[in-house]
Amino acid sequence: MNEVIGIIIAAVLCWLNFVIVDTYFGLPEQPGVRGARIVGEDVKRRGGDIAGGFFQGNILCSPDASAGTLMAAIGYLLLGIPGGIIAAFLIFIGNRLCADPGYAGTVGSLTATIIVFICSFVGLTPEMFIVGMVIAILTVQGIDQVRASIFLGKIAQKFNRHAEE
Amino acid sequence: MFDLVYNTIFFASFGNIYGLSNITLSLSDVLLAYIVAILVSIIVALVLRLPLLPSKPYRYSFDVSALYPTPIIAIGIFSIFLVLNYTFIYNGIVLAAIIGIISALFVKYLFDFVFPKPLDEDGGEDIQ
Repeated sequence: MNEVIGIIIAAVLCWLNFVIVDTYFGLPEQPGVRGARIVGEDVKRRGGDIAGGFFQGNILCSPDASAGTLMAAIGYLLLGIPGGIIAAFLIFIGNRLCADPGYAGTVGSLTATIIVFICSFVGLTPEMFIVGMVIAILTVQGIDQVRASIFLGKIAQKFNRHAEE
Repeated sequence: MFDLVYNTIFFASFGNIYGLSNITLSLSDVLLAYIVAILVSIIVALVLRLPLLPSKPYRYSFDVSALYPTPIIAIGIFSIFLVLNYTFIYNGIVLAAIIGIISALFVKYLFDFVFPKPLDEDGGEDIQ
């Protein structure tokens, strides 16, 4: 498959994977640690959505499904399917060190391993998923944090995971 | 007379002769070994009287249970053995069972010392 098209498809798949898993496991609902609350309130003060801000703060402060997807792709590149499972194990350890229960990270990296495995039959390589995941995180954290937070807040409302405040 | 390096490798090879004899595991063997690791870890954790599910609310619970951290730890450690090409006898099933038992024991007795729960005042806010 053409590299550019593959990277775009992989970025979309990674984005859907980590946003759906993270939202389902309640990242927009409440800040797990104090840093996530500070990020969320700062985003809200700049005109963003508090739930999307908590989401961005949480994926900044502890390895959740975003880091899980990235590490699963790297593990799959290095070691195949066992590499993805080792990535889930390491993400779990990292989560517990960051005062996070770790459901989102482990589930996200296991689903990412399955996605990379299925897409390897179509011709998408793990390298495309690594680049795609970096692009996916960039769209959430890097380009326009305020608009991204509003969009994430809408997704959180769809999943009934919006912060109560 | 006493060659430390040679003796160490020789001693380590006692454990490794079985592993090196069946490097070529088929995909079904690997799958079966993973299933054995998951099942043995859950069953041993239940025998050790860990709860099946974490306490409510599920998504914010730091409690260990039979379903959540135990199989993850078991298959993670088994994967490390697998990629190092060390799969003991019977196509890795025995190794998977041993790792399942050890991970359940670890979760039951050592987990809270290794990964303590965050303190209420400065660890995590708003954790219900």
